[in-house]
Amino acid sequence: MPEFIRFDRITKFYGPLCVVENLDLGIVKGEFVSLLGPSGSGKTTLLMMLAGFEQPTSGNILLEGTAINAVPTHKRDMGVVFQSYALFPHMSVGENVAFPLQMRGVGKAEIEKRVARALDMVQLSALAERRPSQLSGGQQQRVALSRALVFEPRVVLMDEPLGALDKQLREQMQLDIRDLHRRLGLTIVFVTHDQSEALTMSDRVAVFNKGKIEQIGTPRQVYDEPATRFVAEFIGETNLVEGVVEAVEGAEANVRLTSGAQIVSAVSGTVAPGQTVYLSIRPERVDLTEIRGDARNCLETEVTDSVYQGDHLRVQLQNAAYPLIAKLGRRSREFPPGTKVYAAFSAGDCRVIAP
Amino acid sequence: MPMKITKFAFASLTILFLVAPLIAILPLAFTSSVILTYPIPSWSLRWFEELFFADAWRRAIVNSLIIGTGTTLLATVLGTAAALGLRNRLIFFRGTIRTLFLLPMVVPAVVLGVGMQVLLAGFGLTNSYAGVIIAHTVVAVPFVVVSVTGALAGIDERVELAAQSLGASPTTVFRRVTLPLAMPGVASGAVLAFATSLDEVVLTLFVAGPNQRTLARQMFSSIRENISPAIAAAAFLFIAATIIIALVVVLSRSMLAKRR
Amino acid sequence: MIAGPSRTVRSLILLAPLLVFLIGFFIWPLFSMMSQSVSDTAVLRLLPRSAVVLPVWDRKSPPTVSMQTALMEDLKAVDDDQALGDMVRRLNSARSGFRTLISKTTSALGNTANPPADLVSIDKRWEKPEFWLAIADALSPLTDRNLLAAVDLGRNAAGDIEHLPADQSVNRVILVRTFWIAALVTFFCACIGFPYAMIAASLDGWKRDLMLAAVLLPLWTSLLVRTAAWFILLQEQGLINDLLRWIGVIDAPLPLIFNRTGVIIAMTHVLLPFMVLPIYSVLITIPKNLMPAAASLGAHPLRAFLRVLLPLSLRGVASGSLLVFISAIGYYITPALIGGPGDQMISSIIAFYATGSANWGMAGALGVVLLVATLLLYSVYARLSAEEPGRR
Repeated sequence: MPEFIRFDRITKFYGPLCVVENLDLGIVKGEFVSLLGPSGSGKTTLLMMLAGFEQPTSGNILLEGTAINAVPTHKRDMGVVFQSYALFPHMSVGENVAFPLQMRGVGKAEIEKRVARALDMVQLSALAERRPSQLSGGQQQRVALSRALVFEPRVVLMDEPLGALDKQLREQMQLDIRDLHRRLGLTIVFVTHDQSEALTMSDRVAVFNKGKIEQIGTPRQVYDEPATRFVAEFIGETNLVEGVVEAVEGAEANVRLTSGAQIVSAVSGTVAPGQTVYLSIRPERVDLTEIRGDARNCLETEVTDSVYQGDHLRVQLQNAAYPLIAKLGRRSREFPPGTKVYAAFSAGDCRVIAP
Repeated sequence: MPMKITKFAFASLTILFLVAPLIAILPLAFTSSVILTYPIPSWSLRWFEELFFADAWRRAIVNSLIIGTGTTLLATVLGTAAALGLRNRLIFFRGTIRTLFLLPMVVPAVVLGVGMQVLLAGFGLTNSYAGVIIAHTVVAVPFVVVSVTGALAGIDERVELAAQSLGASPTTVFRRVTLPLAMPGVASGAVLAFATSLDEVVLTLFVAGPNQRTLARQMFSSIRENISPAIAAAAFLFIAATIIIALVVVLSRSMLAKRR
Repeated sequence: MIAGPSRTVRSLILLAPLLVFLIGFFIWPLFSMMSQSVSDTAVLRLLPRSAVVLPVWDRKSPPTVSMQTALMEDLKAVDDDQALGDMVRRLNSARSGFRTLISKTTSALGNTANPPADLVSIDKRWEKPEFWLAIADALSPLTDRNLLAAVDLGRNAAGDIEHLPADQSVNRVILVRTFWIAALVTFFCACIGFPYAMIAASLDGWKRDLMLAAVLLPLWTSLLVRTAAWFILLQEQGLINDLLRWIGVIDAPLPLIFNRTGVIIAMTHVLLPFMVLPIYSVLITIPKNLMPAAASLGAHPLRAFLRVLLPLSLRGVASGSLLVFISAIGYYITPALIGGPGDQMISSIIAFYATGSANWGMAGALGVVLLVATLLLYSVYARLSAEEPGRR
């Protein structure tokens, strides 16, 4: 598929502060890409540059192969949804949605038809005459969404659009937006600091840290095959254990932990024998057994605490050299503190990360 | 309990002190007597007639309206433009400029009056409407700047960004979004500018000639030279206008608040 | 968020008109007032030739011929009687006798039939160096006499600064009176305003709205209306005297108007809102549960007030007091209408010099004193109100 949007070596400085550093990113048509990262990682700045609110210090932004750096915002044809909704407080809901169509000189009858359709799409037809201040947060966000979609923009940009909503509403809206994306074939660039939101909605997730992309891939890739320590820690919870590579065989490596235990682990990227690395082991992939089973990796540990959390049992373990956490299914038996157990996991559930 | 009674008595007495003088003057506007004392012998509208038909008072009212309108227009245009310019955080000496804009509220009117008379005499603008309007605008413009700045500070910048992203050019954003949202601030600034001009005496004493005698100036010399119940009638009009203006300001502010 | 030079240019274009307007009609007037106070061109303007010759004189010996000729030429060229009057007044204030001397000289010079040979032949006094000395000193375009006179100082013959004689020392009395009246008004405003703001902040609903409206209504009412109202209330046959007589407290009417009592009552009324509002705005930011918290920790209500509420609200009292004081020292209308001759403040004196006697130098000098005092106090106020709320 040809690339639709291309960030070509983008750098952005605010005074002496570098917020985006030499960044490359391509997005194809119809794709849902999330920019995920902590605040200050440059993800919002990148979105603002794509919308034309900010200019890159160097580098080009290409849309269908043409640089758009010099195109002012109002000619870029991109629908933007803000966290604060940014509805026009002095216009009714219907006038808000009609605004982009008026800007494009669409005829009156056509505007009416399309506004009705756009409001219908977000189930707000009945509230067209209301002022934004008379709506709930969720309703305001749906107005903002339909306003950004009504003029059929080439790209839809969303800047933490669900951040101000409560958890239940947020999850509902996530599914609604995903549904709209599929039905209308939209290209969406979505900024969020919420990793579960990014995993739920996206085709691909770009993980940002300090102005750079640490990893980009499908939700499954960034979760299961974290490329860096930052990605492993930022997305989901993980056990990070230090060790030294003894040997590499194809996609697997033998790692000796400081306690002396030997671990066989999957490898992404290149590591060489003798290198100090981290192992990332997801807590929900760890099994606890009282007798040494036939799993390839098995660590001798002692339970220090276990907490029942409704959908899972969270067990804290202490190995000779480091603490571990295991999340067990709710059918698991209890492990009272002091119990000696083996923590077992397969080579595929464990990942070598170069530091 | 005695604490509560003390508080109540203190609050009531202070309210009386604040409001009673304004109320006491009102009935005297309707006296038939030529002196400004109670008891009122009988009721009459003769002092309102005096106000509207006696030459000195009528001309003073007309002058106040001319000068007030001129001041309001000039101060509102200058002040609104300046408040819009002050929004830009990249402007050098932004704080200094803002202080300069507010300083006319602080400088004693007599001091400004002396300087203004010296300066306007140099331009040949003393004893002219233009001179009085300029002088009044200097002291009225801070109210417009404060009021419009307040309204602009309440506008979420992202609303304007959103309008741009939806296809509005910078001028369209200003016309369709910024200006309508700032309008209540502009309106209350204009009202305050008019009220300032209406009430201004000291600068008028220095720069106005006999032909620009305003209502406030006329009241000043009337109290000083030959006080008559026409003062009370004028005061009645002023207080009525104040209450109407206050209602307008309060309503426009609550309109502003409702939109948020 | 939209950065770039075009936006800055646009902002500057928006700012420029008001900036130019205020520089032209606010800053410039203040500067021209200040320059009036130090400018002294009444003599220099009319005696350009003398101004060339006199500086080379040794200031001791009798006048030379060239000095006399220059002065004669200058005086012959004068055709503006008002300017001549200004010059004579200026010279006479430096040395008495100039009034008769100059008028005698100009009339002799005007006698074209019999032109005088030199000045000494017109009047013997022109031989004395003192008169020439006075002219020589008055030729300097800058002077500090007005600024010194504003605080009752002057220069003696030797040029040293000294106090003016008691019969000329009026300004210091008026300055002291101005600050004293302003201080009294500030004190009364604080005494009434602080408890009032505290009660208002402790209430809610319509009671609070009523208390605030009672402050805002006078604030929004014309100053002249309020002054007229006090005029009516305080006069001899006014409501207050009527009421007191009706109650039987007094037999003869109290003198309440055209004296200090009236000025202070009226000014306190006019300025009270400026005390109440800053204090109120500080008080409502103090969490309501602080006093109960102090009580729960064992503090007696009075102690809790002194240790908790008072320190927290002092910032409001300070900015309210400064605001009232700053406004009070510049007041003109109320003392002019309610006060007697002994209650006139510095503004009245400035207005008198400016409009009454056209002495722009003295008006400017007193204006500088008032302006400097006001701006100093305002800078303290601005620093105080710029501080983060909650900090002391």
